[in-house]
Amino acid sequence: MKSSMKLLTLMGILVSGAMILGACAPAVAPTSEAETQEQGEEAQQPEVQAEAESVTIQFWHTYSIETETPFLQDVLIPEFEASHPNIKVEQVQVPYDEFRRKLLTAISGGTAPDLIRADIIWVPEFADMGALVALDEFMPDFSTYQDAVFPGALATNFLNDHYYGLPLDTNTRVLVYNNDMFTAAGVQGPPTTMEEFLTACEQIKALGEGKYCFADGGTYAWAVNPWIWSFGGDVTDPDITMASGFLDGPNTQAAYEFLKNLVDQGYMHPGILGGGVDAWGGFGNDEIAMILEGPWFPPIFAGMFPDKDYGLALMPAGEGGPVSVVGGEDIVMFQQSQNKEASAEFIRFMLSEDVQLRWSEVGQLTVLASAIESDTIQNHPFFGIFLEQLKTAKARTPHPAWTKIEETYNLAGGSYLAGSASFEEALGGAAITIDGLLGQ
Amino acid sequence: MGQKTSSMGAATMFRYLILIGGAIIMVVPFLWMVSTSFKEYAYVIEFPPKLIPEAPTLNNFVEAWTTGQFQVYFKNSMIVAVISVVLAVLISAMMAYAFARFRFPGKEILFFSILLLLMVPNIIGIIPQFLLAKALGLRNSLFGLILFYVATSLPLNTFLLRGFFETLPRELEDAMLIDGANYFTIFTRMVLPLSKPALATVSIFSLLGFWDEYILALTFIDDQTKRTLPIAIASFHGQHGTDWGLVFAASLIAMIPIVALYIVLQRYFTAGLTGAIKG
Amino acid sequence: MDFLSRWVNKPVGMGVVKKGPGSRQLPIVFVFLLPGIFLFLVFNIYPLLKAFQISFYDWSIVPTNPSTFVGLDNYAQALADPIARLAFRNTVLYTMITVPGQIVLALAAALLLNSIVRGKVFLRTLYYLPVITSWVIVSLLFRYMFQSPNGFINYLLVNVLHLVESPIGWLQSASTAMIPVWLLGIWKGIGWSMVIFLAALQTIPAEIYEAADIDGAGNFHKLMRITLPLIRPTLVFVVVMLIIGGLNVFLPVALVTNGGPLQQTEVVLTYMYHQAFDFLEFGYGSALAFMMAIFIVSLSFIQLRFFRQPEEIF
Repeated sequence: MKSSMKLLTLMGILVSGAMILGACAPAVAPTSEAETQEQGEEAQQPEVQAEAESVTIQFWHTYSIETETPFLQDVLIPEFEASHPNIKVEQVQVPYDEFRRKLLTAISGGTAPDLIRADIIWVPEFADMGALVALDEFMPDFSTYQDAVFPGALATNFLNDHYYGLPLDTNTRVLVYNNDMFTAAGVQGPPTTMEEFLTACEQIKALGEGKYCFADGGTYAWAVNPWIWSFGGDVTDPDITMASGFLDGPNTQAAYEFLKNLVDQGYMHPGILGGGVDAWGGFGNDEIAMILEGPWFPPIFAGMFPDKDYGLALMPAGEGGPVSVVGGEDIVMFQQSQNKEASAEFIRFMLSEDVQLRWSEVGQLTVLASAIESDTIQNHPFFGIFLEQLKTAKARTPHPAWTKIEETYNLAGGSYLAGSASFEEALGGAAITIDGLLGQ
Repeated sequence: MGQKTSSMGAATMFRYLILIGGAIIMVVPFLWMVSTSFKEYAYVIEFPPKLIPEAPTLNNFVEAWTTGQFQVYFKNSMIVAVISVVLAVLISAMMAYAFARFRFPGKEILFFSILLLLMVPNIIGIIPQFLLAKALGLRNSLFGLILFYVATSLPLNTFLLRGFFETLPRELEDAMLIDGANYFTIFTRMVLPLSKPALATVSIFSLLGFWDEYILALTFIDDQTKRTLPIAIASFHGQHGTDWGLVFAASLIAMIPIVALYIVLQRYFTAGLTGAIKG
Repeated sequence: MDFLSRWVNKPVGMGVVKKGPGSRQLPIVFVFLLPGIFLFLVFNIYPLLKAFQISFYDWSIVPTNPSTFVGLDNYAQALADPIARLAFRNTVLYTMITVPGQIVLALAAALLLNSIVRGKVFLRTLYYLPVITSWVIVSLLFRYMFQSPNGFINYLLVNVLHLVESPIGWLQSASTAMIPVWLLGIWKGIGWSMVIFLAALQTIPAEIYEAADIDGAGNFHKLMRITLPLIRPTLVFVVVMLIIGGLNVFLPVALVTNGGPLQQTEVVLTYMYHQAFDFLEFGYGSALAFMMAIFIVSLSFIQLRFFRQPEEIF
């Protein structure tokens, strides 16, 4: 009996602990609107009533919890709500790794949010499902935005003659090179061509054991596509109808052979074959001489290795020129949204030049072509090289079956680089599989 | 093995040596985590690990505790975990008692089908569970999470408790029945008090599961004020790079209640064990 | 925690329940069972049946799009899928390696801890730490330790112990990539089994060992003839639980190798997860999960028969 009292006391302590915590927690954002909205939805209230009064739209995103989410929550949303008194915005930060699963589950239950900030490679898939609103039909002023944004970033929203979203931010990968290692190995400046890249690698290799010329995390599209494109190859034909003759074409083959040579010579960090690589640590500790990185790299890296001497340069050029890969996010609206007009207002707000430029200050590269001329961008320490690279950067195949397409050539590239299959077996086979996926 | 006064000295030294060696292997990753949590800008984990970082700082703990709504999530987790454990233990004890003490048609089939559930991988159930939560209006509700958690923990708890209840002396119960007590009195006055060790064990096992649960919590809850702690920790994982110092600091804060409870309960149920059961 | 040890003595379906309660008590039984059974049916059985139903469909995630009934196609596809077969093999192998690993080490730790006096509680807590540390974090640390060429393990093997000439590419080759996963599974699981073993060991009366000492029995003899037989039911319980856990392995694989390199380390649940949430093949994913479930359930029947000794069947 005594012991069970102890147990009860313990439970009591835990509960009161929870209450004390609750009491000293900072005041949380009022949720009454969200709750009323939720109850309204559960009770199947007619939506007209909700429209007439104040409406709440839900916006799911993967902004970083440290800087970007507070900017959205504490600065942008209050501004938007002040200028749109009838619209409340409820932002929901979702960890990137779990975003797809949470969203797919919500779609299956008919409870998708009004808007999401989606990785550009997901949009065609969601559009193909019929989950998204075609914005070019829904927004009468769509062409204004269509003309204002970078075409490469816009293209990621296109499927079956419609645009299902607008780009929100963009990025690409540029060559990051280690000046300390370059100096030690006698490499003169960043390589601008594939030949120079190879020469640099020979010199780096001479530095000794455990020194790598280049590193990347695997053979997925984000890693290999810049090489394929720069060598003049491609994954599919321009109309995205077939991969045969492209993914196993001579230029793509040259790109893969180049990468395989890097692996075989020991220029490439072996992490590309599996297990990935701690590229930032290796770069900072002078084990890796070159990596490809996006605009998030400089600020974070400066925190880790404040004194590191490094430079940024374009992707080395091959037969196709210096071509990198477009990344970034789009904003898309769901068919399941009950407040499409209000959601469209928020899209307009997020794409306004003022908001776009302020996002750039937080590290999100703008998608507005006009913003390039602005002081914010012109005076920025490193956006210039990324924008230069974006001029030729290409988007990964915008197709509903993208996830499977990528998986197919990721595996094929991996087995070719590991030496377990010939190029023809691996990438030729992958091309045939992808032909089938494209035909569906 | 039993205590032996003759084996003091070299043999005991040897035992301690092995035990301490083993403990080091068990604890090194944890120490590594602690050390990293005192380091700023730990996007890359230092290797080889340093026990004491160069410029130790408490900033990660402060930042974890104050970023977003960490404290709200902590409180939510406390509420969910405590209520879930109490309900899970009570409900499974009732079920276990019925299985242990009564005869009724279909008993063993029912018991076995509950056990089968232990063996079915539950990740695939996430979409049906979500549809159910939506249909019952349990989305965005801590109460909804509690119901799912309790249900998930029922099979193992019932299984463990039934085994224990069957070892309780039947004579006591018969005596109470003769004295005019009903089964509910017997359950609350005799069975539960005598079963403290078992109840403590299922409590800690259940709690471990609830405290870390992530998939249901993330999927069911859109309302940011109703999220639980594992989601707060996952939110510190960035899309392009993760500050591990921050993640580790947040995880360490989250571990405090669990470690505290474990230390308290382990004494409790070991003590209860030798007394109540063997007596 | 001796109660754990009673369950085989009164095995499932074999409970010795005295005669007495008749139909008069049915209402009481009903009240005791009601809350549990209700929760069980609503929150466990219903979603499971729904998932079972999905496994017969080419299931569409958008509720307004039609799903097509495909009969047993998903199951047939799973049987013919070489990666599914490999995933199954990896799952069974993981279980065959991590279960004995955990049992032996946990038992050794429990025996040693039981034989000391000072610092017992402290050491036991240290051994339990991995159990309560999050999977995400320990997986990350294991991945760092097994990095190639500059990880901690390679450093240990090459530079300190001089066991191998050159660093091993642990995560880069199919033959070695599962090793970190196995070690992680064992390392993280020892504490759980150890706590249960320790509780069982403490219920063994010291007099039995004293009697054995008088007979001049050695330590090994005492272990085999006294300790193990006396904690046998606990041992069986732990083995059964670990086998179920091993066959349901998901997190250590998802977080350490994520199935790579080249899908060579997929286990059933990671493969199912990829199919369902990456490729939206929910029907196929469900079919994979249920085939695994059928396997585990059949295995449990065999386990029950195998572990039950004649004298334990009343």
